[in-house]
Amino acid sequence: MKKYLLKRLWHGIITILFISTATFFAMHMVPGDPLSSEKAITPETRKALEAEYGIDKPLFIQYGIFLKKTFIHGDLGFSYTNRNTKVNEIIANHFPVSAKLGLLAIFFATSGAIMWGAIAAKYRNKLPDYTSMVLVILFISVPSFVFASGAQLLIVKLNAATGWNLPYRGTDSFVSQIVPAMILGLGTMAFLTRIMRSSLLEVIHSDYIRTARAKGLSPKQIFFSHELRNAVLPVITIIGPAIAAITTGSFVIETIFTIPGLGKFFVQAVQQNDYTVIMGTTVFYGSFLVLTVLAVDIVYGFIDPRIQVEK
Amino acid sequence: MKKATEIPDIAELDFSPVPKSEAHEEKMRPSQSYWQDAMRRFVKNKRAMLAALSLVIMLGICLLGPLVWRVDPNLQQLNEALQSPSWSFEGRTAKVIADPDNSRMQTFVPQAGILNSTVENIVTVGLASTVQIHLSWQAPPGAHAFQIYRNELPPLDRSTLGVPLALVRGLEYRDALKLELIDYYYSIVAIDQDGKESDSYKTLQVNVEQAFSLSDAKRLGFDVEVGDSVVLNAHPLGTDSLGRDLLARIMKGGQVSLYIGIIAPLIYIFLGIIIGGISGYLGGKADSLIMRFTDFVIALPFLLFMILFKVAAGNSSENSINIILFSLILLSWPGSARLIRGQVLQLREEPYIQAARLLGGSPLYIIFRHLLPNTLGVILVSLSFAIPSCIFTEAFLSFIGMGVVLPDTSWGAMCNEGVKLMITYPYLLIVPSVFISITVLAFNILGDGLRDALDAKMRSRE
Amino acid sequence: MSKILEINNLHVEFDTYGGTVHAVRGLDLAVQKGETLAVVGESGCGKSVSFQALMGLLPMPPGRISSGSANFQGNDLLKLKESEMRPLRGSQIAMIFQDPMSSLNPTKKIGDQIAESLIIHKGMSKRDALKESLKLLELTRIGEAPKRLNQYPFEFSGGMLQRVMIAMAIACKPQLLIADEPTTALDVTIQDQILALLKDLQKEYEMSLILITHDLGVVARMADQVAVMYAGQIVENGSVDDIFYRSAHPYTLGLKQALPNSQEGKSAQLIPIDGSPPDLFSPPKACAYAARCPMARKVCLEKAPLIFEASSKHLSRCWLQHPQAPSHPELFCGERK
Ligand SMILES: Nc1ncnc2c1ncn2[C@@H]1O[C@H](COP(=O)(O)OP(=O)(O)OP(=O)(O)O)[C@@H](O)[C@H]1O
Ligand SMILES: [Mg+2]
Repeated sequence: MKKYLLKRLWHGIITILFISTATFFAMHMVPGDPLSSEKAITPETRKALEAEYGIDKPLFIQYGIFLKKTFIHGDLGFSYTNRNTKVNEIIANHFPVSAKLGLLAIFFATSGAIMWGAIAAKYRNKLPDYTSMVLVILFISVPSFVFASGAQLLIVKLNAATGWNLPYRGTDSFVSQIVPAMILGLGTMAFLTRIMRSSLLEVIHSDYIRTARAKGLSPKQIFFSHELRNAVLPVITIIGPAIAAITTGSFVIETIFTIPGLGKFFVQAVQQNDYTVIMGTTVFYGSFLVLTVLAVDIVYGFIDPRIQVEK
Repeated sequence: MKKATEIPDIAELDFSPVPKSEAHEEKMRPSQSYWQDAMRRFVKNKRAMLAALSLVIMLGICLLGPLVWRVDPNLQQLNEALQSPSWSFEGRTAKVIADPDNSRMQTFVPQAGILNSTVENIVTVGLASTVQIHLSWQAPPGAHAFQIYRNELPPLDRSTLGVPLALVRGLEYRDALKLELIDYYYSIVAIDQDGKESDSYKTLQVNVEQAFSLSDAKRLGFDVEVGDSVVLNAHPLGTDSLGRDLLARIMKGGQVSLYIGIIAPLIYIFLGIIIGGISGYLGGKADSLIMRFTDFVIALPFLLFMILFKVAAGNSSENSINIILFSLILLSWPGSARLIRGQVLQLREEPYIQAARLLGGSPLYIIFRHLLPNTLGVILVSLSFAIPSCIFTEAFLSFIGMGVVLPDTSWGAMCNEGVKLMITYPYLLIVPSVFISITVLAFNILGDGLRDALDAKMRSRE
Repeated sequence: MSKILEINNLHVEFDTYGGTVHAVRGLDLAVQKGETLAVVGESGCGKSVSFQALMGLLPMPPGRISSGSANFQGNDLLKLKESEMRPLRGSQIAMIFQDPMSSLNPTKKIGDQIAESLIIHKGMSKRDALKESLKLLELTRIGEAPKRLNQYPFEFSGGMLQRVMIAMAIACKPQLLIADEPTTALDVTIQDQILALLKDLQKEYEMSLILITHDLGVVARMADQVAVMYAGQIVENGSVDDIFYRSAHPYTLGLKQALPNSQEGKSAQLIPIDGSPPDLFSPPKACAYAARCPMARKVCLEKAPLIFEASSKHLSRCWLQHPQAPSHPELFCGERK
């Protein structure tokens, strides 16, 4: 078990290194130079700036410095557009907002999917199953920005019609995050619902459920003490990728709902060609996702007794 | 089990022996090949057939539509801007009228007195048309200025007069603010010398006619005189804020979305087949090396890197389509390579392939005769799910402005433009969203149908 | 001796994609108190389906019990509501399944799985139930029982799992135990131990046992009564001696000849039964075995055979048992000639 964990961790580290390298070289393929957006700078200031950002050195030395700074000092440098702001600060300020939204979304997605998938499987080939499968495929097929904008429009119209004051943007209150989080989790929820449904169907038809019935357990007892747990296991294995989907989904949702999260900031940075921020955020998100997937896998090893012997 | 009570007489029973062949005659139910069987199941799947039909229609609209609907998607007609969908393909005829003359203004001398009555005699001057509505009225004593309101519904009371258009110090007003072919209700409220609006108002219902000013008509290339009429383009899906025809743009954007959505998966799945096939077929060191690299590429955060590549390509506007295409291929091949490799590894162990190898079949022969046909189902299914996911990615990127940009457009890019005016003109967002959603939905359903049809195991379970 | 279970005219059908499968077509059976009834037949003849139908464990749909009755201590099991059936399942009638590997929940501890039926039927507390489970496990002669209680199924071998299944089944001292091929998945030595265990437990608990198998060796060793099943029907029914020494149906003969070291001792050669069982989508109207039967006559292909009594309480569904039918040297034809 320990050996397995170490191996996974080692793999994770290598992957993060690969991500950082790919990020670094992708960003240095950019034609023109990063300071070109600066208007009218004298050659001296230019020199000074180049030295400050370290872009006067040869590429491989820059790469070495980048790796050293990033992984030894945990320092992602200064923003290009806001000279005095460190990328670390930006991440520290904006990531918690995104994380809160993302956690809420994951919560909606998984709890919704488990309930909904269970209902669909239990009423297989009946109305609840059909309706939920239609909704699932709809939620998978309609882009989240459509739902987001639609929800916003609805709230605005509702406010206008009723004189209420429902929040439809920003993060002033917990309530204002619920709608964005639900929409952010919608696609993932639909996807997980499908998995939950088919995994529960497989469990329902398995021999050990027949054994449980032969013991005289009631359907309710069987559902809660045998079926549910086993059916949820496959859902848990893809929570890692689901978190990745939700993270990237947050770019759009945060932009539409003007939530000051890292996703919105990233989109802004891209529009402003703020290279250090782009690079820093990519490396940060990349590492975050690799570690999340790793964590989910490890947790899964504890939940599913079958995993412990394999590895 | 109970023994029979009435036993028939032996005479009724034929105990003569049967010839061997008769006893062993076996009824065979007709057997069908795998593909025939799959095809039959697929055609029987109503949902999948419906999806296929809507995709054919969608492709027809986008590829053949421009041959029929010959409207330039980039033609800007500001005076046609922001028209809601009319759902009609019939061109509207418009009268050509003289250019509105804005110079002549009656001087207005306020009458002294206390403002206690309302304006009189509101009339339209000249033709009330989509070019301009010219109102004039008579002032009551004590009126110093007038507030003009416009509503699309008859006002019920003082508070429902509609949009305040202007504050006028005069006895006439020319409204040219985005006039449409509907009835308008203009209400005029007089204002006294202290700037206080009076409580009473007068309303005029104005019936609008389609018209075109002479200079506009000339500018668009109509050779006409005042009094003639011209036929204007219909805008079945309305126009955007620059007056471009949405139907034409949907067709053009659809071409781009479908191009990216279909070409990218075709290429990367092909790459995946080659890389995965080689990897699986060779096995050993080469296999593990290739797969290690594949794992790394899969670990890259997909959308972040799509954006990163876009930035790396210089965030330039030209070629934005091919940049997306290229990035999609670069980041997506590992998934299908892995899939194909798994299939090949599995198939390699099958007895009939082992046999073909032992009999000295060349690798190419084995690959083309045995491996490919047996992975075809998996490839088809993964293709049919890859297409909607690529369309989705493109839409997503274009929506945040990281995808297709001007002068090209795509459905996602149209959504991006539409969302800015969404609150007042929801159709700008709804129209392209509906096209994306239907297409992705249809591909997904098609993929489901294909998978069910090809996967015999699924059939017995579901 | 009294009957503990009597099944009459049980019909089970499956509605499938390709049509209706007539899996069980008029099954009649009776089990005496304290006795062992063996049900033999080749794979797919409907053994498992019959008894799952009896227990109300058939997946419905696609399964359907189209007619029949099953009298168990005054109750017709097939007419009972699900909620009335539940208290019987696991406490009065218990069942052991064919494949022990897949018949236990892979993510639940063995102890918990055994304790479950004690908790629901006997109202025991979890602690008492676990204590009782330990006793049951020891009864099935599993080594290191206390440790085993806290393990998961994947940590067990097939034979051990089958012991667990047995412990689970006898937990509430059922009056009738249905064992569906309890030893098919196991190797021969383990098979022996499991059978011995079943026999001991049966004696100790005074259970009636229905043993489903396709192994005549197992039948000879365990059974008092034997029912031979073919294509969803019982074709021969009698005491174990009747079946082995006075086989009155050609199919039984065929089964015997396909058995290694044949009980007859004469023919050491194995003779497989030619052909395959009939298509259960449209089972033949006449004798289902006729197409494969070396002794078949024209009548066998034309008319459904009646049930004849070959000897006292020894029944056979074969025209050749007709009092005036031509006789065959291998086939027992009663005392009529
Ligand atoms: N869920 C089902 N759907 C359709 N047909 C079924 C289903 N379950 C069983 N059958 C059919 O019922 C028939 C009897 O099956 P059953 O499992 O009772 O055989 P068996 O005698 O127990 O064989 P084995 O010795 O292999 O266990 C088979 O022909 C099978 O095809
Ligand atoms: Mg069976």
